[in-house]
Amino acid sequence: MAYSERVIDHYENPRNVGSLDKDDEEVGTGIVGAPACGDVMKLQIRVEDGVITDARFKTYGCGSAIASSSLVTEWVKGMRVEQALEINNSQIAQELSLPPVKIHCSVLAEDAIKAAIRDWQAKQQAQVS
Amino acid sequence: MDAMNHFARLGLAPSCDIDAGALENNYLALQKRHHPDGTANGTVSERRLAMEISSAVNEAYRVLRDPVRRVEYLCRLGGVDLDSSDPNGGAPTMSQSFLIEMIDRRDALEQTRARGHAALDELRAKVEREQDDALAFALVSLRSGSIAAAAVALVERRYLQRLVGEIDGEV
Repeated sequence: MAYSERVIDHYENPRNVGSLDKDDEEVGTGIVGAPACGDVMKLQIRVEDGVITDARFKTYGCGSAIASSSLVTEWVKGMRVEQALEINNSQIAQELSLPPVKIHCSVLAEDAIKAAIRDWQAKQQAQVS
Repeated sequence: MDAMNHFARLGLAPSCDIDAGALENNYLALQKRHHPDGTANGTVSERRLAMEISSAVNEAYRVLRDPVRRVEYLCRLGGVDLDSSDPNGGAPTMSQSFLIEMIDRRDALEQTRARGHAALDELRAKVEREQDDALAFALVSLRSGSIAAAAVALVERRYLQRLVGEIDGEV
């Protein structure tokens, strides 16, 4: 199957690959998997004053899964948490011209950013109480 | 979905423990009976029917002769489709600890690779044993009627299979 140019670009030059300290109070970590194919994705964000200042990912999966997570980290940097929560998979799929059989990769990336934000939110609530 | 399931198609009762000899014999007999060549002089609809049955028989055989596909198919008959990510009736979501372990083990792969072929082969053999264990656990679960537990074990097996792919350097 032919990958779109955008996918190949992110696959060959992935943005923001790496890890943040998951125990840091300002860091949210989302780990998700695609049971059908065995892809796993870790997406992390650092939040300061409600703004995402850094984002990192590690994805073990196909080119579309790597590109989807790479794109999301690029997008969320500089976004407010509430804005990042609104990212949905169809935006990712559209940006990367994903074919129908690869839509689940964009769903995975959406799930990962949402999970990372939830993790960060849980840490903030734990701090308050 | 096809009104006739793969087991019925090949004249077998749905079970994890099928008789391999009966599978083979029934398959060959059906393939012979419905071979498209046998209806070469028949009407269009006879030929079409023979072709449809013949391809359904082939598909059933392809699934049932493979121990992993067979067990996955039994899950599907039990209402869990591992190829679907639907929260209702799709593949079960794995625990965070399992997913973290899968990430960590993939992260560690580079170091193992740096230690050379022997280390990589050893790891590969270990992951393959884990895959076998997961399949065995799925079988035990199915025999005791727990489709949910079998489905989790089979998904675990898929992640491990993918890990073997990573070890082999597949993308």
